Amino acid sequence: MWLSLAVFPCYLLSLWRRPFLYLGLSLQLTYLITRGLALERLPLVGPHDTLTFMAAAMIAFSLPFYAALKRHARFSNAVSLFGAALSIFALVSKQHNAPLPPVLKIIWFELHVVLAFLSYALFGIAAVLGCFLLKEKEKSFEMLQYKAILVGYCLFSLSVIFGGIWAYLAWGTYWLWTPKELWTTILWLFYSLYLHARLHQWWTGRPAVVLGIAGFGIVMFTYLGVSLLMKSSHAF
Amino acid sequence: MKQGIQFFTSLRTTIWLLGLQISMLLAGAFIMPVNEAFQSIHAVPLIQWIREQPVSVTWWMWGSIGLLTVLTANTIFCSVQSVLKKRNVFQWLLIVSPQIIHLSFLFMLIAHFASATGGFEGVVVAREGTAVVLPNNASLQIKVITIITDSHGYMRDWAVDVGYLSKENMIKEERLMPNQPFFWEGFGVYVKDLQAFPEKVVFLEISREPGAVWALIGGATFMVGIVTLLLLKMKREEQP
Repeated sequence: MWLSLAVFPCYLLSLWRRPFLYLGLSLQLTYLITRGLALERLPLVGPHDTLTFMAAAMIAFSLPFYAALKRHARFSNAVSLFGAALSIFALVSKQHNAPLPPVLKIIWFELHVVLAFLSYALFGIAAVLGCFLLKEKEKSFEMLQYKAILVGYCLFSLSVIFGGIWAYLAWGTYWLWTPKELWTTILWLFYSLYLHARLHQWWTGRPAVVLGIAGFGIVMFTYLGVSLLMKSSHAF
Repeated sequence: MKQGIQFFTSLRTTIWLLGLQISMLLAGAFIMPVNEAFQSIHAVPLIQWIREQPVSVTWWMWGSIGLLTVLTANTIFCSVQSVLKKRNVFQWLLIVSPQIIHLSFLFMLIAHFASATGGFEGVVVAREGTAVVLPNNASLQIKVITIITDSHGYMRDWAVDVGYLSKENMIKEERLMPNQPFFWEGFGVYVKDLQAFPEKVVFLEISREPGAVWALIGGATFMVGIVTLLLLKMKREEQP
């Protein structure tokens, strides 16, 4: 647990000195690995685990973007703050330490969850890039936002496919119409809209960038809002 | 005719349709959680359920179906137009891979349509040593229910040994385990829940999901399309 406690101050200190970012990420990844070994399962159940994983994924994914942006300090700081916020929410969230029910012990389910959170992290990176693009009008940010969303869209779609495979084997249907699946559909269609809209002259540039930012709002509601506020098979 | 083709091949049409579709589903996302009618949405095929419910509850679903119909036509027209345009090999691959993704979207729509019109789901509770009658009048014998729990009482694993009988002849014996259902003649038998005490009981679901194969084809097609697109875009980046 102390590993997890140390992550939040590391991410905050990275605003002052960047090596603290790498330290925080290392501690967070070590925490996830040791927690997984202790629980004998993937540590991705409940808000504590998933927020921790998403924070680590966002920080990790930000590294190549930071390099591509020629070490843009404010981008790195923005992602560090995001990682810190997710990490502190993870700390105050309840841990789920019970063993996984037998029906969740299958590779399709694990891939479904891992890919979902990796995609959420990329959509978060894209939103941060979008905010900087609106402020600084750097064209390179737009291409990077597009790349983050395209890869995130790919991973998210695969997550949905693998979730459907698991659900069919576990429950007899590849899809259920519950709030989680409905918001998942909205999210997938929204980023489909983004990928098409940026090809049209009226939507190229600022409007598409705004879509890329707004999409992350839908991501966070799909992830946290539905799980915490609505009755669903995906509820925490 | 020309205007119609222009409408269906227009990217602006796609953007409008996607935007309207998202708006329709957003409306439904706020109607669904507060309306008790949706608790029975999975009890019958979706189209049957939509027809039986009041329009005040399902208007957004009817709207979505209408929009998806137009979006389907838009997808087909756009994809055909893109593929028919002559380009060099690399450009053609870059154009074809999104069309493969579009094709996977169409397969997914077929899957959902098949499931919404032809699906079946029935539930039954059975004790160890009894038999249940299946929709095709064959019977499923529940032979042995095995439940393994840990020291804290959490269920760690389970298995249900069943036998499939037709006209009192044992056709097949199978072991149901987590994520390993029993499939026979288009039906799937799934264990939804188990009880160890005071007697061993299993809660079974017998279902038919006609869209599953189309969904799998759609998923596989999508993976091919998106991975090809990503690789091609990366290769284009590397070129001077």
